[in-house]
Amino acid sequence: MNLSDIIFAPVFLPLLGSVLAFLGKAFFKDHGAKLIEYSAVLIGLGLPWIVLFYLLPSMLSGTVIQLVIGNWLGGVGVIYRFDGLAWLVDFLGFSIAGAAWIYTLGAGPKGPGFSAVFLIQTAALAATAMTVDLFNLFVCLEVLGIASYVLIASSEKPGAFLASFSYLMVSATAMVFFLVGLLGLYRLTGSLSYEGIASGLKILPRGGGLTANVSLSLIAAAVAMRVAVMPLYGWLPDAHALAPHAISAVLSGVLIKTPLFALTRILIIIPEGIEIGRLMGYAGAATALVGVIIALAQKDTKRLLAYHSISQIGYIVSAWGAAVAAGLSTPIGLTLMTASFLHAMYHALFKGLLFLTIGTTTDLAGERDVYKLRGAATILYRGGEKFPVTLFCFLVGALAIMAIPPLNGYASKAALSYAFKDSWQASFLFAAGIGTTASFIKLSRIYWPQRKIDQAAPEAGTVPDKVHISIQISQIFLAIMCIASGIFASRISLIVKKLLSTGIIDTNRVPPNLFSIQNLEKTAITVTAGIVLFLIVSTRPGKKILSLIRNRPRNFQGLFLSFSLGMFGLALWMIYKS
Amino acid sequence: MIERILLIILFLIGFYGIIAKKNIIKKIFALSILNSSVVILFILEGSKIGTNAPIMEEGVKNVVDPIPQALMLTAIVIGVCITALALAIAFRLYRYTHTFDIDEIHRKLHDEPF
Repeated sequence: MNLSDIIFAPVFLPLLGSVLAFLGKAFFKDHGAKLIEYSAVLIGLGLPWIVLFYLLPSMLSGTVIQLVIGNWLGGVGVIYRFDGLAWLVDFLGFSIAGAAWIYTLGAGPKGPGFSAVFLIQTAALAATAMTVDLFNLFVCLEVLGIASYVLIASSEKPGAFLASFSYLMVSATAMVFFLVGLLGLYRLTGSLSYEGIASGLKILPRGGGLTANVSLSLIAAAVAMRVAVMPLYGWLPDAHALAPHAISAVLSGVLIKTPLFALTRILIIIPEGIEIGRLMGYAGAATALVGVIIALAQKDTKRLLAYHSISQIGYIVSAWGAAVAAGLSTPIGLTLMTASFLHAMYHALFKGLLFLTIGTTTDLAGERDVYKLRGAATILYRGGEKFPVTLFCFLVGALAIMAIPPLNGYASKAALSYAFKDSWQASFLFAAGIGTTASFIKLSRIYWPQRKIDQAAPEAGTVPDKVHISIQISQIFLAIMCIASGIFASRISLIVKKLLSTGIIDTNRVPPNLFSIQNLEKTAITVTAGIVLFLIVSTRPGKKILSLIRNRPRNFQGLFLSFSLGMFGLALWMIYKS
Repeated sequence: MIERILLIILFLIGFYGIIAKKNIIKKIFALSILNSSVVILFILEGSKIGTNAPIMEEGVKNVVDPIPQALMLTAIVIGVCITALALAIAFRLYRYTHTFDIDEIHRKLHDEPF
């Protein structure tokens, strides 16, 4: 079979699945609809795995498959490129989406309509990872967005509708600016493909001057909004906190990272892209620290996790930005990019796991307040979990995000600090690590036994919902992935590096030893400092400061203000640097 | 030149409406206006190089740039989807809170425990 025939499979199979699911909804009832829905999901989320594994050997040898849809001429048609980066993003997307869908079987939302939209979102993820055409990127991001607005609202909570509305408005506005930027680049170069734009800008005097700089910053700001980098993060906490648990896992695991890696493709071939990468990297380091401070102050469990997503995306963006600034064809740039993707992947695994376990727990307990909920382990036991699967899985996730060896979070954070060496970003990330430890100690208190026994116990007769077997399966799957990817981290990081290098650089050098004494010492310091920080914020003045941070004013206009400021700042930076 | 100034005014009206109007239905209108202003901008820029409609048949010469028009067809479709979805969400918000005022909605929904 020709390789170029099957590279669209990760996009088309989920789309086919969603069509089937809709058809099943329209023409069949009960059993028939369910049967069709399940086979649609098997086609959409299962079959792409075969394609991905079939493609892996040639991706490892550095093959790049570039195709124009519909056999148009290269200058007119839409170009897709499948390479190591696309493979990695697809791998990430399909593993988290699969686990999340299995989780929804037990916890909802259910139904063919939901599955169809979910599959459309997965298809858009795969397409975003592959496209090398600016307008197609716009379309992919919009499809991704529309699917996620629907999915966020599908939890049927009133707050989720408001979160979805705010997200929709701010991101639709951002995409209008994206279009304006696209027009600017099209006017300058007469091309929409990344390569065409790059070669066009190269011939122009001063690389296109003011127009090119402003256009690029409009595009980058619109994408950065989706990634939720400081200061464009305002939509994320509500959306992630109020979405159904499985959707939260996908949103913060995959959806906020895919646009970032899609943006890489254009930034690395345009000279001005370096400066955008640099500024976004700085913003990322700040995001990591500010995000964790706000997270520490939260009292809603899922909102706390959502702010941690912002903080962790800060880690990823800071390494990503430094990698783009250094260039992917340099060894240091490649190391940074590898660390960035490794953390993106590992974060998807452990954050997905955390969202699912916390979701299971809070659903069963009927309480989401960190300060009120206690004795969750007992509640889970009463809910039918004789062996504490959820508690164990939560611990795996929490220890992973706190970077305790040998879990995967430790491996990727060690890789990040190795890549950053002694630059100032490393100390930002180190400080953020302390905050992470403190806030997860705070979160894990919900499982501690209650002080007054059985005060809030449900009366006899009101039997709490059972924990569905599919919930346990998806949690165990993610937990095993967390542990396994931590133990085999050096091998995985070598594979990621090989896939990202596309055969340009020799990647066969021995990776650094993750479990060096120095790294372990650093972990010990982080954990100790985290415990101290937790004790500090548990005091009365500490709690007062936290409630000040938690109750800072937030409103709809603020989203647009921060977006405009961020975009303006990026444009000024670009003009100043050119 | 005058067309561009008018378009900038249209764009700013849309942006102002999204931010400053309290009523969420008006916000959605404003988003539509913002979207339309960019669509018209694309068509305007595409039309600078020719005069005839880009129908590729014999005898048709001096056509405008067809790519912006093709792009805008897609963008209009996306815009319609977003407007429809936003209106649906607005309807649900109204059912929960009995108001279209964004601040009021914020206040009502934030009191609610979740």
